[in-house]
Amino acid sequence: MFAWRKLGKVFTPQEVPGRPWLQEFAQAPCALVLGDTVRMYFSCRPKPDAAGQYVSYSAYVDLDRGDLFKVRRVADEPILSLGGLGEFDEFGTYPVSVVRDGARVLAYYAGWTRCESVPFNVAIGVAESRDGGATFEKLGNGPVLSYSPGEPFVLSGPKIRRFGDTWYLFYIAGRKWKRVDGRPEPVYKIRMATSADGIRWSRLNEDLIESRIEEDEAQASPDVSYAGGKYHMFFCYRHSAGFRSKERGYRIGYAWSRNLVDWTRDDARAGIDVAQEGWDAEMVSYPHVFELDGRRYMAYLGDQVGRYGFGLAVLDGTLE
Amino acid sequence: MAAIAFRKLGKIFDPTGHTLPNECRQFAQSPQALVFGDRVRIYFSTRAVDKTGKFLSHVAFVDMSKDLREVIRVSNDTVISLGNLGCFDEHGIFPMNVLRVGDAVYGYTCGWSRRVSVSVDTAIGLAISRDGGLTFQRIGEGPVLAASLHEPCLVGDGFVKIVGGQFHMWYIFGTGWTRYAADAAPDRTYKIGHAVSSDGIDWVKEEARPIISDRLGPAESQALPTVIEVQGRFHMFFCYRQSFDFRNNPGRGYRIGHATSDDLVDWTRDDHTPALEGTEGGWDSDMQCYPHAFECDGRLYLLYNGNEFGRHGFGAAVLE
Repeated sequence: MFAWRKLGKVFTPQEVPGRPWLQEFAQAPCALVLGDTVRMYFSCRPKPDAAGQYVSYSAYVDLDRGDLFKVRRVADEPILSLGGLGEFDEFGTYPVSVVRDGARVLAYYAGWTRCESVPFNVAIGVAESRDGGATFEKLGNGPVLSYSPGEPFVLSGPKIRRFGDTWYLFYIAGRKWKRVDGRPEPVYKIRMATSADGIRWSRLNEDLIESRIEEDEAQASPDVSYAGGKYHMFFCYRHSAGFRSKERGYRIGYAWSRNLVDWTRDDARAGIDVAQEGWDAEMVSYPHVFELDGRRYMAYLGDQVGRYGFGLAVLDGTLE
Repeated sequence: MAAIAFRKLGKIFDPTGHTLPNECRQFAQSPQALVFGDRVRIYFSTRAVDKTGKFLSHVAFVDMSKDLREVIRVSNDTVISLGNLGCFDEHGIFPMNVLRVGDAVYGYTCGWSRRVSVSVDTAIGLAISRDGGLTFQRIGEGPVLAASLHEPCLVGDGFVKIVGGQFHMWYIFGTGWTRYAADAAPDRTYKIGHAVSSDGIDWVKEEARPIISDRLGPAESQALPTVIEVQGRFHMFFCYRQSFDFRNNPGRGYRIGHATSDDLVDWTRDDHTPALEGTEGGWDSDMQCYPHAFECDGRLYLLYNGNEFGRHGFGAAVLE
């Protein structure tokens, strides 16, 4: 089992003043290591509208490289605007995953629209930054990965990686909308696509990770690292119903692979679980593993899927 | 080569005189022909009303004599069911373009799903018939052609033709939604695009290249392309209109457009040769829309809808 040592919650959105678009939630953290800071992208929300509905934005917080619990700066504005009328990302740009490409930083993000029969649909967009990840321009006003015969809706949670000459996009795709207490809830599974240029994607069209707790298990945040001659994926999973509770809510799982296609799930090795008490006592979710100055860190969300922010754990030992 | 011209045959099918499946009452929109030895099967989209009072478009067909003068039968069973909860074709299929591929009949559907901020989005699916076109089964729950980086919405109206062993699709893509008055519902604008495929499933778009020039300016909406080869030259018919105030204002409603190409790359628009004019006082006096060109027993026909987008049926003209 990996030995993740929890360091505590590192960022609390409720403590940030003067940003009406950043009132609650700091979800799906993603690190970009800069000079003397680590830029952590996250997704957040203003207060809900009169009908109780949220939009979501993405932004960043710069953490001190020498002391990740020291916040140096919070973005003044969201890094992405919401889409225009009728566009796929009109009601949310969440979550974001970034990767360097020469002088550029590319951000892959999930765009949210609202539907009549189900609450939302999601597709994946792409934007680029020419200023080191401070501001981004969308590469188009439509999605770079959208619905297909085998992935009919809810393409979300992109995680972008480059291994060798190939770009990899790990993401989730909706399998079905399941009625739970009269309300449609999406069931989604972890998928992958590959690309030579980050724009034209070829889908594997298979689930990467077998379902363990139930057939309709929902899986998210497929975060892949390479270390010790193999690929490691930390992700999160939950039950399809009653998942806003401690018993059936998100936990962090683990799988490994030598070729990025065939994965062996081994949640017993994940090495991080809910705490006895505190900010992550009900659920742990949306893991993101990054390397900094010779150590591996995991950023993750606690209770209510990051409503009160994200925290960090550090790995004692190595990924292997 | 002698100039081609239309000889109108008048309205050939009125749905209100028949019992249709799925409790559909009116509309026979976007007729699409499949020629058999002894008949022509013409698929069309007709409408039921759901419990919210909104329309659901269903595909039905009428078998007609090969001179298009006699109705042989109207389908009494479901040709293709609507999509499942949250799928792109949950709220209607309109139109469905059919073509023979080996022993199968491919049906390219334009699926409709309702949105909240705008009325609808669309995408193109593929369903295959192995029983001669009586029933169609989807290859998957999602679409084969959907919104993409530079085609942000409303991908639909696919028309597929195999030329030189390659699948070609002409279709429409939305360029955006606009609210033309403060209290008006948003209206959409779309243009005709082109994609190619080796198998009819995986498509490569030209990506937002409008292949037909605008006659009415940037706010011209172009719809339902259909392509037929005549003496070595490709002819495209389509319909076009202003993007708002087009439903009840005959001066701004749909007309039939026309373009020619020798290479399927460059198209020259010429709406006048041949021109399809409405007949004053007739069923198509105010509007002509949703054309479909096909060959039968050595003659070239154009099916199309007239007033009120085909509420009262469709007619035909012979190309001479």
